[in-house]
Amino acid sequence: MPIVLEKLSHVYKSGPHTSHALRDVDLTINDGELLALIGHTGSGKSTLAQHLNGLLQPTSGHVLLDGQDINGKDSSRRALRFRVGLVFQYPEHQLFEETVYKDIAFGPKNMGLKEEEIDARVREAMAIVGLDFSEISKRSPFELSGGQMRRAALAGVLAMKPQVLVLDEPTAGLDPRARDFLLEDVRRLNRAGTTVVLISHAMDDVAKLATRVAVLEKGALVMDGSPLEVFSRHERLGAMGLDVPQGFRLARLLREKGFPVSDRCLLEDLAGELADLIKGGSGHAA
Amino acid sequence: MSETAHLQVRDLTYRYDPEAEAAIDGVSFSISRGEFVAVLGHNGSGKSTLAKLLNGLFLPSSGSVTVSGMATSDAGRTWDIRRTAGMVFQNPDNQLVATRVYDDVAFGLENIGVPSGEMPGRIDEALRLTGMLEHADRAPHLLSGGQKQRVAIAGILAMKPEALILDEATAMLDPQGRAEVLDTVLRLNRVQNITVVWITHFMEEAARAQRVLVMDHGRVVMDGGPKEIFSRVDLLRELRLDVPPMTRLAKLLRERGVDARLDVLNVEDMVEEVTRLCPSCLKN
Repeated sequence: MPIVLEKLSHVYKSGPHTSHALRDVDLTINDGELLALIGHTGSGKSTLAQHLNGLLQPTSGHVLLDGQDINGKDSSRRALRFRVGLVFQYPEHQLFEETVYKDIAFGPKNMGLKEEEIDARVREAMAIVGLDFSEISKRSPFELSGGQMRRAALAGVLAMKPQVLVLDEPTAGLDPRARDFLLEDVRRLNRAGTTVVLISHAMDDVAKLATRVAVLEKGALVMDGSPLEVFSRHERLGAMGLDVPQGFRLARLLREKGFPVSDRCLLEDLAGELADLIKGGSGHAA
Repeated sequence: MSETAHLQVRDLTYRYDPEAEAAIDGVSFSISRGEFVAVLGHNGSGKSTLAKLLNGLFLPSSGSVTVSGMATSDAGRTWDIRRTAGMVFQNPDNQLVATRVYDDVAFGLENIGVPSGEMPGRIDEALRLTGMLEHADRAPHLLSGGQKQRVAIAGILAMKPEALILDEATAMLDPQGRAEVLDTVLRLNRVQNITVVWITHFMEEAARAQRVLVMDHGRVVMDGGPKEIFSRVDLLRELRLDVPPMTRLAKLLRERGVDARLDVLNVEDMVEEVTRLCPSCLKN
């Protein structure tokens, strides 16, 4: 179920002021990929995300899902929202039910599913995000730790079994362990076939997870490629106020000094290359 | 009490209710005037509770907290203590109250009864120190997250504090906002000699402190310079914490049989370390 954005533009109007949040974005999100969407604050990432499931409608251009315009007259936007699950920033702020169970069941209930199916989905979603059903389902979501609340909110979206999962800064404010848990959930879902769009400022996470990286600047798509391709343009990214993973910065500085080191996305790979170089190099007389 | 101790914590225990497990459990340490101390720990380790005890928002269940010689348990000094040790919180949107940056900084001064003739000078100075003077007339809600936090800091600075306590003040910011806020606070520490307690989840931020305290289960379990703390990669992992990426790379090199030092905190350190390990690796 590829999502195709065709000349997508969005203009926010407030009084006499207009601002172009998105300008003529052409982007295809393929089945099964883990696409990272990066860009400076205000570059249009969250606006783009909200077009993917019809929460926002384009000022011009189209969003096609399976070739069908999701904002077309004969299209059921309601059904589409269930196929594309959107997890907002700080999604735990939207928990509201008196128990974790009810909160996660809210989406499936809205879909009109039967009680047994809802129950099965709540259990499955909790298992995916690593929340123990017997221990946690009857508790109030507000008694959970920050990391658990975030995972409960994610479970609420997963219970709708979306084919595409869009996550807006999912690890913001989490401690390292909670962050690693959540990213592991995302990786597992993606491996099981869910297409993932990940909006993130954490470039080390992007380098670890993404199969493809798209870069927005002032509402326009300015780069699109593998993490390696995108991060090797660190000067251009730096000019946009974006970081690169520290491993990339290191490789660049070492090359400038004359070390034969290549760009690597994973620190493990960089460590392997550096270890070979050092062990090989120190074996020879200088 | 030693003469230089600015923030002194002695046998401090805090319980949210008398039946509950101690959130802070028998902690003692002292922070000297002008120190920049980062506090690390996973969610629930007691970091935020400690922050609120340091400026008297919470009072000790037992033990004591002393700020510039004033015990937080001394009810008569509560306002002096809060003015002396100002606190910045995580969410930039919950801390600003006025419709203009300038008025927001003025708000705190009015509250403590600063004579109106003295206010403009103090407000301008606070905004200048945080790099926000040029934004004095703007509406706070139109600022970036990093700018909002700098206004929150300016509001505290105008009250002439001796210490700043920042409780995950960068957690909700983008990388640029985080850098703005950290650089501002580092400068205030260096130039104004303001004591800083910087609570964070970001290891790269803690790496820039003079000293790092690591908390777990309401106790201080590590206390030392960042190089010393971060080189203990395995212990930190047990405590559910990370190390900065370059320290992790050093560890990965060691696992591959390279005798890399573990006290590598940033990219510049690592370039130096690779050069030391293999001067002959340079291409000719």
